[in-house]
Amino acid sequence: MAMAFKMATTGIRVTDECKSSFMEMKWKKVHRYIVFKIDEISKLVTIDKVGGAGEGYDDLAASLPYDDCRYAVLDFDFVTVDNCRKSKIFFIAWAPVASRIRAKILYATSKAGLRRVLDGISYEVQATDPTEMGLEVIRDRVK
Amino acid sequence: MYGGGNYTALSLSLSLSLSLGLTVIGCFVVDEVSAIVVDLGSHTCKAGYAGEDAPKAVFPSVVGSIVGSVDQSEVGDTVKNEKESDSIDSKNGTRPFDSDKTKAKRKLYVGSQALGYRRDHMEVLSPIKDGVVVDWDMVDNIWDHAFRFCLILFSCLLLLLISSRDRLLIDPKEHPMLLAEPSSNTPQQRERTAELMFEKYKVPALFLAKNAVLTSFASGRATSLVVDCGGGSTTIAPVHDGYVLQKAVASSPIGGELLTDCMLKSLESKGITIKPRYSFKRKETRPGEYQVVDTDFPNTTESYKLYSQRIISGDIKESVCRAPDTPYDENSYANIPMTPYELPDGQTIEIGADRFKIPDILFNPSIVQTIPGMETFADSSPPIRGLPQMVLDSINKCDVDIRRELFSSILLSGGTASMQMLKERLEKDLLEESPQAARVKVLASGNATERRFSVWIGGSILASLGSFQQMWFSKAEYEEHGTSYIQRKCP
Repeated sequence: MAMAFKMATTGIRVTDECKSSFMEMKWKKVHRYIVFKIDEISKLVTIDKVGGAGEGYDDLAASLPYDDCRYAVLDFDFVTVDNCRKSKIFFIAWAPVASRIRAKILYATSKAGLRRVLDGISYEVQATDPTEMGLEVIRDRVK
Repeated sequence: MYGGGNYTALSLSLSLSLSLGLTVIGCFVVDEVSAIVVDLGSHTCKAGYAGEDAPKAVFPSVVGSIVGSVDQSEVGDTVKNEKESDSIDSKNGTRPFDSDKTKAKRKLYVGSQALGYRRDHMEVLSPIKDGVVVDWDMVDNIWDHAFRFCLILFSCLLLLLISSRDRLLIDPKEHPMLLAEPSSNTPQQRERTAELMFEKYKVPALFLAKNAVLTSFASGRATSLVVDCGGGSTTIAPVHDGYVLQKAVASSPIGGELLTDCMLKSLESKGITIKPRYSFKRKETRPGEYQVVDTDFPNTTESYKLYSQRIISGDIKESVCRAPDTPYDENSYANIPMTPYELPDGQTIEIGADRFKIPDILFNPSIVQTIPGMETFADSSPPIRGLPQMVLDSINKCDVDIRRELFSSILLSGGTASMQMLKERLEKDLLEESPQAARVKVLASGNATERRFSVWIGGSILASLGSFQQMWFSKAEYEEHGTSYIQRKCP
């Protein structure tokens, strides 16, 4: 078993709240995005912020800290070339340059634990600065 | 950190660990007694404590060696007077890991200080060829040096913090060991390492982590393409979800040392002699005026002379070289302004086109052959590829689905990655040759220490994370399953 996978699945626990909120987002469309964080002491992945119905991509981008890592899921609405309204769920691993190396490694090695309980993610994005998860990048992926 | 309360808990858990076996060490003591992290590169060895942000000990990976024919006792005595802690007599002590050749009488010198002192007949040898260990006896000595260094520091720290009765803690037997290894390490090498660590150093727990994975994690990415420009070689390794994609790993023998040698040869061809530090004395004749007097040591070996010259030539390279924006060609760089550099003997030399030509070797290895004295290099088939080509080839060997992500997360690491403009040039070359849809992004830490030591730092933080403590290959597991179990514990 790959090292990171084992660390993420047996060394860190994902709270039930993370899973249920994601399900609400996926099925009931009540959230636009969810931001998750890790508490190193209790070794838990918990919910940091939930984006309500009126919010969107910009609000998510604004809620990611400048100097700490996070995970986020985003329900992205777009219109296809043949004028169909669609939505896809993105998983974003946010590890900004200004965050501590400890945080970067903790989040990089714990990702698989959260990722595997979130069923229904279409795309995954790693970002170390805002341009890597820019709206352009997101749009590019759903093309 | 080692306050009174903690001390009781620690000693309690230590005695528990003795009676209950290593599960306790794995879960608790490991958290408290920091692990030792060692990254043995082809040029430099980095060692220190887990959890810290830079290695405590950084010293050359080469070893000074004097072989038997000299009167052993005499050499031993003089050495003991000079620097006791740095000399290790490979003859003494139990040594179950002697390599195949018999080295009945060989004295090895490890560390910058021990090597900085010139000795008659001392050869400078490297235990690592093409990123892989060829001489285990030497590696053993380098590790020994690394642990000794850590031990001295650790004991000083302890003396300051707590009373001497805690000596138990400074025993190397209590430190789990995390070693960084090249992606190309063979199963045999890994088993040999495990055997040496458990049998000779009696470590309580061990972990081997791939260089590329550590670099990738240290930048916060589980997936990336790691370009490690090291001393002896350059390795390109794609990492996906924390796992090296072995079949797509590419490497070339072009690293910082080759560039250093090219600089040396090129200067020599222009009639400049680089005098090693030991070969002259500077006398102050009048205040501010110096006279250089050559000293004569006929018993100095060629390899020691070269080692000493490389130190100077390496510094010239680091001070003046810069990767050119476009491929190097003689004509456009013929009139480049000269940059002065002052050699240790006071002589000032001027470096022109070589400032750009030498770094360009990384991109275009065939120009090595235009340097006098280096003609035979890169004469192999298939020819050695340049950096951008290796990156493209490596990415193209990976699954189509992850190529896009790899293109946008190219991480530069290693000592040579600090070369000025290297990142910019690599990004530019890759933009020109990559598929249009790819967003090429080359990343390197803005912090020079982080870039140079990304592997070590990655290992240091990893080994200190709570979620990592279950990962150790413990002594109990070693005793139960044997050396080959390392392949399962540290895949």
